[in-house]
Amino acid sequence: MQQSTLPPHMAAVPGASAAESNDSNGDAPPKQVAMALERLGQASRLIADIRLGADRLLEALFVAAQPQHSSKPLHLIRKEEDSMRQHLQDLRSVGRQLEDSGVLNDSLRSRSNSWGLHMPLVCPDGAVVAYAWKRQLAGQAGASAVDRTRLALKAFNDQKRRFFPHLDTNCGGEGATKKLCGPPSTDLEETCELKTVSEVLTHLKKEVPNVITFSYQRLDWLKRATSLPSSTSENSIELSKENTFQSTTTLRQGSSDDVIPDKVAIIELLIPSVFRAIVSVSPAGSLDPDAVAFFSPDEGGSYVHARGFSVHHVFRHITEHAAMALQHFTGVGTETALLSLLLWVCSYQTLFSKVCNKCSRLLSMDKESAMLLPPVNRPYRNFCAGKFLSKSVSKEDQSVDSTQGFHIGCFSEEA
Amino acid sequence: MPIKWVLHWQPNAGTTANSQIVSEVSQCVESINEQANAVEFPRDFLGISLQEQPNKYYFVIRGQRMILEAESSIQTIMEKLQSYKTRVALNFEGFQYQLGDFQLRVGKVVPIHSENLRGIVMEMEYLPISSWEKSHQIMGEFFDIWQEALGKRSLPGHFVHIEPIFSEFGLSDQYTSQHTAVQYASIMAQMIATAQSAQAVRN
Repeated sequence: MQQSTLPPHMAAVPGASAAESNDSNGDAPPKQVAMALERLGQASRLIADIRLGADRLLEALFVAAQPQHSSKPLHLIRKEEDSMRQHLQDLRSVGRQLEDSGVLNDSLRSRSNSWGLHMPLVCPDGAVVAYAWKRQLAGQAGASAVDRTRLALKAFNDQKRRFFPHLDTNCGGEGATKKLCGPPSTDLEETCELKTVSEVLTHLKKEVPNVITFSYQRLDWLKRATSLPSSTSENSIELSKENTFQSTTTLRQGSSDDVIPDKVAIIELLIPSVFRAIVSVSPAGSLDPDAVAFFSPDEGGSYVHARGFSVHHVFRHITEHAAMALQHFTGVGTETALLSLLLWVCSYQTLFSKVCNKCSRLLSMDKESAMLLPPVNRPYRNFCAGKFLSKSVSKEDQSVDSTQGFHIGCFSEEA
Repeated sequence: MPIKWVLHWQPNAGTTANSQIVSEVSQCVESINEQANAVEFPRDFLGISLQEQPNKYYFVIRGQRMILEAESSIQTIMEKLQSYKTRVALNFEGFQYQLGDFQLRVGKVVPIHSENLRGIVMEMEYLPISSWEKSHQIMGEFFDIWQEALGKRSLPGHFVHIEPIFSEFGLSDQYTSQHTAVQYASIMAQMIATAQSAQAVRN
């Protein structure tokens, strides 16, 4: 409780002085709101009285127009006039009190001590917004706490499943996640010398020629995400041309050449026409990835970020699988984690062309989600940056076999 | 001021002037004009409007491999100009289904203001990809899966996919509604051809 002593409650008597509203500002918010609601009720009763009075006046005038009666209507009119005047005065003072307590304007919204509860707001069309209040005042706070707990538990479970999948009961062989790569080759020694994100990206572009990479500071990503053309716009071709022109100029500010190395927090990997992957590193400038998400290259909007989810099922499944791969790579070795993750991400460039290694088909019905999906699961346990780097362009046969893909149903952990 | 001659139409005995004669005379004037220019103008074209682009109208001339995208108000302009008349108008209507990342539309082809079924058309859409080339394999497999599922019902017929060469129409690898219009144009041409041959067989 913020106040130890409350000023004595003063009834909202019509015609009370303005000093009363000053006192009400010292009340705790619930009391202020209760009084505001009471005053609003009063105001509406006064308005009803005024309407009735107007009706009576009109009636009296009508009767006066009749030839029979003479003094009675005059008496009625005088009486009504007096009571109307009183009502209007009362209404004026209640209105002033309401204004002072912030009901008829927005002045109280920014007050920090309102306990998260707002004064009822009277909208221009006359509707009174007091819903959140009524629930509290009616003693339903208990029920909402239960709801809130339930929602919190559900959110926690979802996050746990996503970020700590190895804590699930069906994932056996936890020790396998600590298995290290084969003996370090000269290539691996080379990768250990990559100290910054831009060095990692340069190395990546050498190994994967068709990937386009960008890096951003954390807050710059939102600008980029919302400027991406969405697939629903037919003009996306023209827009994307414009955007690439504009964005290359803005991106130059965010490209790996110019961004201050210790501020890079978001990496974007684009395989044209296949996917766009967003990887975030934390803290900024380090080589520790902490989130990854896949999207269609035509998706755009503020939901496109390293913890977001694509609208397409294929990319949602890949994102879920990638979260586990990320855990694996960071668990195995922090120096190579980012490069391994990025190389693994780039292996998805054959997503729509490489058949599943188990059933030799591209599309397969996933029983759980009842959906036709391409091979979305690529193994990460034995994925070694060194192994990947050893495949060169000239050894065509090796390159075909080294990246494998499986449908969800065809994938087994030991792969 | 230049000189002019004013002529009037003298109908033969027993006949009257009518609007048919007016249009014949106009056509005659136009044909003289054409001969003078000695250029072959296409006699007909296909006009397509798509549900996903309610503001657009597409013109396709397959012979010349042309596609033109215009605003849908062009139809009222053409009606007013009376330069082209609708010979045949077909409606493709049906239901849309969502299967994960795939969207299917099954529709019947009916002439406008009629109930006779002229044909059956299907649209298969894969939402995550916009590149025609990249999607080829996956669409091909989905098509095979679909044929397999349909084959179990022993229907007298099968679905065919005609693949137009989009580059001939000046279209790029990125899929747009213009690509859809071109695909519909080839289907329509096919259907009109089969309808005509069926007519010939009947006759």
